[in-house]
Amino acid sequence: MTKPSEIAPVFTPCGIGVLWRMKSRALWNHTRAVVAEAPVKVFATGIFLAAIWMALYMLFRWGFFFFQRDALQSAVAIPLLFNFFFVTLLVLLTVSNAILAYGALFTHEEAAYLMAAPLRTRTTVALKYGESLFFSSWSLLLLGMPLMMAIAHVQNEAWLFYPLFIAYFLAFIPIPGALGLLLAWMIVRYLPRSARRSLLHVGVAVLIVAVLWGLQSVRRWEWIDENWLDGFFTRLSIIQASVLPSTWVTRGIEAAVADRRGDALRYLIVLVANGLFLSWFAIHLVSFGFVGAFDRAGGSRGETDRPAVETSGGVAGMIFAFLPKSPRLIAAKDLRMFLRDPLQWSQLAILFGLMSLYLINTPRFSVADGPTRWSSFIPFLNLTAISFILATFTSRFVFPLISMEGHQLWLIGLLPISRAWILVAKFSFAMVVTLSVATGVNMLASYILRISFVSSVVHWAVTASVCWGLCGFAVGIGARLPKFDQHNPARIANGLGGTINLIASVALIAFMLAGMGFVTYRVGEGGINSRSEWMVFILAGVIVLLGIAAGTVAMAVGARHLKRIEV
Amino acid sequence: MADAICIESVVKRFGAKTAVDNLTLNVAEGELFAFLGPNGAGKTTTIKMIAGLLMPQEGRVTVCGHSMGHNGLAAKAQLAYVPDQPFLYEKLTGREFLHFVAEMYGLSRAQRDESLGELVDRLDIGPFMDQLADTYSHGMKQRVVLAAALLHKPRVLVIDEPMVGLDPKTVREVKDLLCDMARAGGTVFMSTHTLDVAEAVADRIGIIRHGSLICLGTLAELRTQASGQESLETIFLELTDTRDETV
Repeated sequence: MTKPSEIAPVFTPCGIGVLWRMKSRALWNHTRAVVAEAPVKVFATGIFLAAIWMALYMLFRWGFFFFQRDALQSAVAIPLLFNFFFVTLLVLLTVSNAILAYGALFTHEEAAYLMAAPLRTRTTVALKYGESLFFSSWSLLLLGMPLMMAIAHVQNEAWLFYPLFIAYFLAFIPIPGALGLLLAWMIVRYLPRSARRSLLHVGVAVLIVAVLWGLQSVRRWEWIDENWLDGFFTRLSIIQASVLPSTWVTRGIEAAVADRRGDALRYLIVLVANGLFLSWFAIHLVSFGFVGAFDRAGGSRGETDRPAVETSGGVAGMIFAFLPKSPRLIAAKDLRMFLRDPLQWSQLAILFGLMSLYLINTPRFSVADGPTRWSSFIPFLNLTAISFILATFTSRFVFPLISMEGHQLWLIGLLPISRAWILVAKFSFAMVVTLSVATGVNMLASYILRISFVSSVVHWAVTASVCWGLCGFAVGIGARLPKFDQHNPARIANGLGGTINLIASVALIAFMLAGMGFVTYRVGEGGINSRSEWMVFILAGVIVLLGIAAGTVAMAVGARHLKRIEV
Repeated sequence: MADAICIESVVKRFGAKTAVDNLTLNVAEGELFAFLGPNGAGKTTTIKMIAGLLMPQEGRVTVCGHSMGHNGLAAKAQLAYVPDQPFLYEKLTGREFLHFVAEMYGLSRAQRDESLGELVDRLDIGPFMDQLADTYSHGMKQRVVLAAALLHKPRVLVIDEPMVGLDPKTVREVKDLLCDMARAGGTVFMSTHTLDVAEAVADRIGIIRHGSLICLGTLAELRTQASGQESLETIFLELTDTRDETV
């Protein structure tokens, strides 16, 4: 063993470049491994992404053409559309950056590793900030590029529009990113864990109040009214405030669309300057107080609120009262773990929150008062969005459940109950979660869009059947193709079984939606009459049965395999 | 001999709980120190304060003369910390990870290659150096993490539960490695529940309980305190049980 090194007079810590190089290498290795391990998944993901891009592009293009029919409508609606889009992105990106920064800086082992290394705190914070920007901005890529292509196509823009548009996006991202970083740091630094939980409750309450406020506003809002334009602008003035970054992007894009290059550049400079300043400020402030915040985060981990724990146990037990005792305990355990894992519920909350936001902003008119085509088409679109969100959730979070239990052995191997009951417990848990949120969004849609009772019931029944089918697939295929040697649920979901489950789930949804699409088309073309109502009922009944049968068969196959398997 | 680690009147509280209570402890250069205690006694909290991951509310920690609170960078440059759960970047190979660590500690390519060659042979990590870390077993991870910790030839090695999950051959190798480091003038601060390892290699042993040091000295001194008991296991149980009765 050679002697320890002598003390260097002044140690010069490495810069962020060394860390970025390492991260790039890890990303490259990861990409290569994914392509090698699951080429089908990569191909399927590519196809789905392309399909989503194409659908979004068509939707945006259709929207811009629709608005362009009338000059006044175009002048009012297009800037408003952009304002809504960027305000929503500002809020969503701030929240998602806060979640990512919190996880990366205060809960991951890597942060502790870097803290113990001779690195400036600023370097660690800047690295994690950059990572959270990278991971949170994929939505911009997904939504922004088709938006750009659509508006460029409709307006016949010159080539300069494209780089300007991309530059606006890139300059915009650091602003919510920095706000998210500051939010995460402040929560850890200044709130004890119990207060953090209180804050979460307050946040949920504020969200509910905001939704109710939005509903009230919608109810008061008469579309055809002599004062509607005044009311319209008064309500929207908040999101068009000059101090909001979303307004700068919107005005910049407006200027770029109108080929006012000077104005476009000015707004871009404002965005860049603010983004850079906010990033600099956030990184330095968080670095300055990082050691203290890290200390608090580490110290408070594991503290639990005893009464809350007992209450959640009691409620979870009541929800699954229809199950015998042992599977009820398993389902209640899964529900409590779900509620305590922000990674799981926050993704579902963000996706359905986004959808609720869209619903609240949709009813510029009542579906019931609109043309028949609309009254059937919009609920169908809602059903489509809900189904795909649920498929994402079940593939990522429900599919790995059996594999994770198998890894622990005691449940599958040692618990004195039939393994089929374990599957039923997992299925019940998944159904409770998915059906609760899907029903909530369904009811919101029915209320806001004033969808007829019959149509609401039909759509709810199909949604419930989608939940049954997807949960059955995730649990059944999870039991048929488990991955007991893997600890990481994300890797379980990314494996062969996870890919098959995802493809099967999408195929099931596609079948069910194709059926519903046919119903929607017929109703839209022919209007509602007694004959079409019967057809709706019969076809919807078939679709509901299809979902239930598919889920049940998958569960049976999974249970049969699990019964024989050696763990 | 100068002190490599100085813990002076350190207090660390988590809410109402005092995890480390007025702890004072010095570990000299060239010493292999074993830090023992029951679960929840404050071992890991103490280690995290030495590594700069937690900050004491009272008192101070210095490593090689550098205060961890005021001059943390200089202190960390002299230190290596191996946690109980070894951390590796799963999507890097062992070799890529070690190269990254070398760069982070400012080693030249020649220094890196020389040190790496020695550690690869010693810890027998060559066969899996070019595989991604997510394919490693616990023992393989622990060996690569040890190599990363020793790559820059630290003056102080702080290691939490080094023997957990290792096979007997590797346990022997790690024990030899720690002893060699101490013999070469380095300092090893080791927290462990494996009492026979502590008994075999430690120059001095400290036992912590409820955040306070209840016993400190060589094995012979501990035997004297514990009515002449022979094995460290018996001494440990007697000392911790005695304190239980008085609390």
